[in-house]
Amino acid sequence: MSKLKLSGVSKAYGATLALRRGDLEVMAGEVHVLMGSNGSGKSTLCKIIAGSVRPDAGKILIDNRPITITGPRSARGHGIGIFYQELSLAAHRSVEENICLAALPIKSHLFVDRALLKQRAARYIRLFENVAGEGFSADALVGNLRPDQRQLVEIMKALASEAPILIFDEPTSALDRAQVDRFFEILRDLKRQDRGIIFISHRMDEIKAVGDRVTIIRDGETITTLNLAETDAASVIRLMVGGSGDMPASQSSAPAVVDLADGTAMIVHDLSGVGFRNVSFDVAKGEILGFGGLHGQGQSALLRAIFGAGSISSGEVLIGDSRLDASSPRDAIRRGCAYVSGDRGRDGVISGRPIIENVTPIHYLRDRLMIARPSKLRDKVAPALESMHTKFASLFHPISSLSGGNQQKVIIARWLIDRPDVLLLDDPTKGIDLSAKADLFALIRQLAAEGLGILLYSSEDAELLGNANRILVFNGGSVSRELTGADRTRYNLYQAAYEAA
Amino acid sequence: MADVAVTPRARAGGIRKLLERYPFLPALVIVAALLLLNGVFSPNSLSYRSLTGLLSTYMALIMLAIAQTYVVYAGDIDLSAGSILSLVNVAIVVLMERWGGGAGAVLLALALGLLLGLACGLVNGIVVAALRLQAIVATFATSIFFTGFALYILPVAGTPAPALFWRTYGGRLLGVPFVFYILAVLVVLLLVLSRTRLVTQLLAVGDDQQAAFQTGLPVVPVRIKGYLLCGLFSALAAFCITGDTASGDPLVGGKMTLYSVAAVVLGGSALSGGWGTVVGSLLGALTIGLINSVVFFMGTPSEWQNFVQGLAILVVLMAGVLAGRRARA
Repeated sequence: MSKLKLSGVSKAYGATLALRRGDLEVMAGEVHVLMGSNGSGKSTLCKIIAGSVRPDAGKILIDNRPITITGPRSARGHGIGIFYQELSLAAHRSVEENICLAALPIKSHLFVDRALLKQRAARYIRLFENVAGEGFSADALVGNLRPDQRQLVEIMKALASEAPILIFDEPTSALDRAQVDRFFEILRDLKRQDRGIIFISHRMDEIKAVGDRVTIIRDGETITTLNLAETDAASVIRLMVGGSGDMPASQSSAPAVVDLADGTAMIVHDLSGVGFRNVSFDVAKGEILGFGGLHGQGQSALLRAIFGAGSISSGEVLIGDSRLDASSPRDAIRRGCAYVSGDRGRDGVISGRPIIENVTPIHYLRDRLMIARPSKLRDKVAPALESMHTKFASLFHPISSLSGGNQQKVIIARWLIDRPDVLLLDDPTKGIDLSAKADLFALIRQLAAEGLGILLYSSEDAELLGNANRILVFNGGSVSRELTGADRTRYNLYQAAYEAA
Repeated sequence: MADVAVTPRARAGGIRKLLERYPFLPALVIVAALLLLNGVFSPNSLSYRSLTGLLSTYMALIMLAIAQTYVVYAGDIDLSAGSILSLVNVAIVVLMERWGGGAGAVLLALALGLLLGLACGLVNGIVVAALRLQAIVATFATSIFFTGFALYILPVAGTPAPALFWRTYGGRLLGVPFVFYILAVLVVLLLVLSRTRLVTQLLAVGDDQQAAFQTGLPVVPVRIKGYLLCGLFSALAAFCITGDTASGDPLVGGKMTLYSVAAVVLGGSALSGGWGTVVGSLLGALTIGLINSVVFFMGTPSEWQNFVQGLAILVVLMAGVLAGRRARA
């Protein structure tokens, strides 16, 4: 029996289509797996079902009756419970309060019924008895828990909805083996109760262990739905990648070997910190080293740590022959590091200020300038902006007057006045248009040709394949595979990323 | 050896647990220390009579700090709390005078005062939560509006409140000063409120608004209810100030708004929301009152009093921050 059916659901944020055409049918008593690469629209689809994102178009049917979901409350009313990937917990509330937050038991219409709340929460806490770990108790504050314990609370919270349709968006990413096993036992129980379950995971072994059917989403479109028993990992990955997975066209176009005669630009030796561990690599002058893998596997954390914006617990970073112990970004900039983040709003743009001021801060720092003389600075700023075909009305217009792509060009231009030795690119093309992307990569390749060492993390595999000389695939905070030469294919990249951690 | 290594950590954990349960403990210690200081400079200041005076003077600030706490719970702020106080103050004084100042008139005026406070809270709530304007600027704007309304009702300060009203507030009942009854009722009221679903929801919204929304909490109504509580307690604060000053003044509350915010922070609540206690704010307001009293009893020359007051508040704030940080480390 069909529990939930979506057809032709779509969602756009401004000009970017997050979901082009989402179709999904979940039966009672099945675990339905959603698969797709980064940004393919899985989470958007889940959020539409859960009511926290309003779709632009499409139909939703529950038990074959068409419904409209106006918000998370109405979704709950329709019997939908969800585990959010980014969690939805109140850090200063206790575990039991968080579990029952959506429907606090009340007495006399006004007061929280503490006894009932305790009793209700205990039912779900008991499910994870013995695997929750030290310090986990009903009255512990969620903010004091470890990441895996917080994830368990979010699971309990989703279970407490007792909804006939349950969505789990990457519920196992921080859990250990025993916790995952317990969770899967619970899922099987739920299946027996004829609930419909949507499950997202990037671990092929988990999907095999618990899933019944799989729906594959690519570029915001539902591709197909398969029976997991009748398929294998390789063909699933091939469907996610698209038909041309191992065709020559999807192979890397960048030269596999660069001339190493110029020496190394940066050596990273056994580096560990928050979010990554035991990472070692070296990047030659003139080389573009790509970081691949799923989102949030330590690539950004590593780049930020090298730049002095994150923390390093052990290991070393060498620039040339000397150690770079960047205690702050300021320090790293002085030593010749440059960092461009895809999150412009947080890490790059000085909002509300003119373009010229957005190009010059690094120049100020490196040349220890004290006085701003716009006429002199203009001679340095203009060529830097022109080298990327940046479009702007005048240097004194606010940066917010530019499009996302042009803003990012301005941010990159600030590193071009005084050349760095190493350029750290942290998903630099996030949310910018195609022509700006082309300009950016043309510049990046040119900078490499001029002898910079470049570390490029991109969430779009095509960008890595098109530009990187070598690719390190990250999984769970460390490098799981290095792709060189003819190995740099779309298929290999996906396979390495989706391997069980 | 193992025992030796474990004990200090266990003790630190105990303090941390205690602070998590009672975040107002540092404020309580500071209030005790300030009382002690008062006693050192002027033993007379700890007498029953002086403490009664202190309480009846600062009861309005206590109420206003509590009012502020409920919006701060949800991560909002109300810069119009003091103006609501002024508005209710002049409104009830004018109404009481117009209706003759009898018991019935007083009670009716108070009831209307409460409604007026609630109405102001509703305006703030709609402007901030429903129209999604920035709380800090939007309530600043409504504060100007409320002040204008107060000036319209009573252009110049000075209309006296009926004797019945302020004599009751400043007097005794069964030999016990009336403010102690107010304090007792207030404590019961706060206890009752702290068990309501609304307070838990306010704190959850302040913790992470997006998470609360995704959890399915009615975020907008919850925030509006926070502002309603704020308006209600601002009106109660107005009753106290009317009892204390025995007159109407359309600008009496203006200065008190930021004191109420300071009291909330001194009481250990987080301005970012999601964390705090009303008892802490009560103690924070008392802290401010006691600082003023210490400054007075120290015999600080009047031109230096503001300077010392400001410095003392900074010192207390720092002490609170340090205590909190040590507990969390």
